[in-house]
Amino acid sequence: MLQYDFMQHAFEAGTIVAVMCGVIGVFVIARHLSFIAHTFSHIGFSGASFAVLVGWNPIGGLLLFSTLSAFAIGGFGVKIFRREVTISVVLSFFLGLGLLFISLSAKKATAMYALLFGSVVGISLQNVLDIVYLSAGVIAVLLFFYKPLKFDSFDPAGAQAARLPVRLLSIGFLVLLAIAVSEAILIVGALLVFTLMTAPAAAARHLTHSVGRMVLISVLFGVLGVWGGLALSYYTNAPVSFFITSLEAVFYFGALGWDWLRDRRKPQEERTTEGSAA
Amino acid sequence: MSVTAPAAALNRTTEGGPGSLPAALEVQAVSVHLGGKTVLSDISFEVKPGEFLGILGPNGAGKTTLFRVLLQLIKPQQGQVRMNGGRTLGKAVIGYVPQSRQIDPELPMRARDFVCLGLPHPLRPWLNRADKEAVRRALELTDASHLADQSIGRLSGGERQRIFLAQALVRDPKILLLDEPTSNLDPGAQEAMAEVVHSICRTRGISVLLISHDVNLINRYADRILYLTPGQYAIGTVEEIMQASVLRKLYGSAVDVIRLDGKLFVTTSSQPDSKVCFH
Ligand SMILES: Nc1ncnc2c1ncn2[C@@H]1O[C@H](COP(=O)(O)OP(=O)(O)O)[C@@H](O)[C@H]1O
Ligand SMILES: [Mg+2]
Repeated sequence: MLQYDFMQHAFEAGTIVAVMCGVIGVFVIARHLSFIAHTFSHIGFSGASFAVLVGWNPIGGLLLFSTLSAFAIGGFGVKIFRREVTISVVLSFFLGLGLLFISLSAKKATAMYALLFGSVVGISLQNVLDIVYLSAGVIAVLLFFYKPLKFDSFDPAGAQAARLPVRLLSIGFLVLLAIAVSEAILIVGALLVFTLMTAPAAAARHLTHSVGRMVLISVLFGVLGVWGGLALSYYTNAPVSFFITSLEAVFYFGALGWDWLRDRRKPQEERTTEGSAA
Repeated sequence: MSVTAPAAALNRTTEGGPGSLPAALEVQAVSVHLGGKTVLSDISFEVKPGEFLGILGPNGAGKTTLFRVLLQLIKPQQGQVRMNGGRTLGKAVIGYVPQSRQIDPELPMRARDFVCLGLPHPLRPWLNRADKEAVRRALELTDASHLADQSIGRLSGGERQRIFLAQALVRDPKILLLDEPTSNLDPGAQEAMAEVVHSICRTRGISVLLISHDVNLINRYADRILYLTPGQYAIGTVEEIMQASVLRKLYGSAVDVIRLDGKLFVTTSSQPDSKVCFH
């Protein structure tokens, strides 16, 4: 299947986005931002629809709308936007706005479908390059600020006590998240951003006790899901996003089950070691 | 306002504390207003290197706010805070263990990695030999070496507090601020925690400011106490402060101190006043 250009492009873009989402997802979960990521995806959708309407590249509209909203959310403070009422109002408003922009433009149906459900196999070479540069940039920044970001995400009270610049970290992270969400939309669509942004990291959390390893496992699950999704979709003609979401769900529940089994086995092991010590 | 208690002298040399050294911490006439309310008014005191200062007072007296001022998280409207004889020092000089800390039971981190978060270099994610040694020492000092490889979310309250303390210690601070580190612990764990803090204070010469509601615990370990009530404060030894006359001035109402079996109890003779902190 890799003899086709469109499949090569899909693999290239899908892989780097999966790696990026795997890394950032670990922090999204720790900072309890998964619903904010979802909100970004709806805001990004309206941005992309706007771009379609005025004839820009959709990536431009996505990035514009989502990064602007990242600064807005960061400025007001994340706490307000973590409230479910705020989220549902903002989310549905922007979904409606996107709908309006699309209905005003000529290429209604295909554009809307691609933005809502993803269109990884329809990606052009120029888009692939955009995605690769952006993702590589996001990954580089995340790795450079790994230590303070880890501190602030997993132990916010401690990070403030150690006088890290927590506000700057918070806003900076939201901007990175906005960029990451915009790219994930191009692969899996606005409605399915959860699947790359949170499922791999959530699965990884159940399999390790180290943040570094959690990042690696999360990246692995993300990449496996995208590769598997592309391959299965190529041979069956069912949508890519369907297979990616299904595979990620399998990983997540598999990890959950594995954790549960391990917890059940452990008390018995402890009992036997106590017995031998006595 | 400072309550002038009999013999509650400010610059009193405490036994064991080297009196001639410059103060580790000087608070000069600090006032703080938050949300249109006066939280701290005209507070002055100093802490010697290696001194253990216990801080007592009812909820809402401004104890946590005082710590936030010392950390420069809040800028006081009046007065100033000087450290180590006025020399400005790096951020590592204060170790702070905040009052409330949510720890997710599923936090994927071992206690050792949690302590590593506190290392002072801002960006370098890997550990060099000096870092590993600092982490090992901090765990040893807090009597937590045996917890190093356990998952932080699975530790008990007392074990967690010792790991929090180790995270603050790994920066090699000169001053430790501990905000109610014993509040959610059972009596045995409270004693163990105070014991650990006391020995760190003595062996490393770190000045400790510890907030607690247990006057008897503080009595056993602290060199002096700072008693804060809304709008008032007093500083001195436990004997000097825990007197009915001083507490009456602090609270502005009738308060009695009862001594029983070497333990102190605070009661009110009038109708129960929710503002009084019963020890
Ligand atoms: N950021 C703030 N804005 C307004 N008021 C505050 C703020 N922080 C604390 N306060 C008020 O200051 C008083 C002292 O609070 P705090 O220092 O937490 O007391 P304590 O730690 O002694 O219980 C309380 O009445 C509280 O309501
Ligand atoms: Mg407090």
